[in-house]
Amino acid sequence: MNITEVKENAGPREFGPADDMPEEYRKAATRMIQFHANSEVMGGYLDKEFTRHAPSIDRKLANTAKVQDEIGHAQLLFRAAETLGVKTRDQMLDELAEGEGKFLNCFHYPVDSWYEAPMIDFFVDGGAMRRQATLKSTSWTPYAHAMDKVCFEEGFHVKHGESILRELMQGSKATQERVQETFETWWPRILQFFGPTNDESVHDDFAQSVGLKTTTNDALRNSFLNMYIPKAEKYGLEIPDTPRIYERDDGTMAVREEDLDWDEFWTISKNEYDGSKEQIGSRRRRQEAVEWVRDALDTWESTDSTRMEVAQS
Amino acid sequence: MIWEVFRQESAGDTYEHVGNVHAPDSELAEQFAEVQHARRMQTNSLWVVPADEISEVGAQDAAFGGRTDKSYRWAMTYNDIDASFAEEVADSEEEQREAARKRREALAEEGDA
Repeated sequence: MNITEVKENAGPREFGPADDMPEEYRKAATRMIQFHANSEVMGGYLDKEFTRHAPSIDRKLANTAKVQDEIGHAQLLFRAAETLGVKTRDQMLDELAEGEGKFLNCFHYPVDSWYEAPMIDFFVDGGAMRRQATLKSTSWTPYAHAMDKVCFEEGFHVKHGESILRELMQGSKATQERVQETFETWWPRILQFFGPTNDESVHDDFAQSVGLKTTTNDALRNSFLNMYIPKAEKYGLEIPDTPRIYERDDGTMAVREEDLDWDEFWTISKNEYDGSKEQIGSRRRRQEAVEWVRDALDTWESTDSTRMEVAQS
Repeated sequence: MIWEVFRQESAGDTYEHVGNVHAPDSELAEQFAEVQHARRMQTNSLWVVPADEISEVGAQDAAFGGRTDKSYRWAMTYNDIDASFAEEVADSEEEQREAARKRREALAEEGDA
């Protein structure tokens, strides 16, 4: 298939490993799914910190289950990316360890308190789920299949996150103030989660024309605002004055994007923020620590297939 | 090595493809399939199959169901007979009507293309 044919045929779950896809499509899909897989890994690593901070055994159990989910999502997504034949899982994991792999902005900020749990588990995961729901109709079928399972599990993460937020906002005055303070730090990051405006997003047009993406960054961010601002206010959080949020003619909400720090965003997107280095380095050391497990599996694979060949000859 | 995973929800259900896993041998493939594909969803059983062992025949390669008029083998053709006397006959006719509709749509789409 050439690119013109791909664009003509693009639709939900239209293409799969049996189709002969042009390199441009396979590379774009790999870039997108690898970014998503990396984000699941880095999100899982960030989230595991909350198990230590969680105030009760129930919260600790739920949090470890969530972390296990996220790493499972990464496994599924690396497999979906591999089906494009551009990169192997080992390559993608090494790229992440070496600081070349890209991932969501919110996972570049190390966390160190329980007040941050609802920022990630409710707002960031809620935003992620908005995006993931639209990706159920991506054109690369293995990616869409992974989204079915991801969205099935993600509902628990968002509801658990909301439950933490509610619990904290019913706490003492001091607790509520700490949550508000933490929210003000995270709010701009959360708004940037959906990426830059459409005209500044480099890969948007192509990904949309071949059906990999079905919704623009702007549309996702605006629908997120419409759903999550009322939630924040319901629990008594105050939306900061800047970045300015305004109501558009159709009654939906949008953000004045010039109020956001895009220099920080682009530094993060190059993995050059201080937090990026900390988060990437901490995961790299863990990848190195369990290298012996991967080596053992690889060695077993080769000896096992040798055995099979011997048995067959 | 890649292994394809098929999940059966309850005893007696058909197995549905749910994804695949990396594993060096079938024992580990079963373990990985269990963790990645049956940890949360209700599951009765898994099939774990080497991906290389699966062969596919696509609609481009085969004329599934043939290309000639075979209306004589559809229940709806005999519409001067009322199927409602027995529920199972009526159900079967309904299933056939649905299958025929999908097939007509697919052929029409092919004609358009």
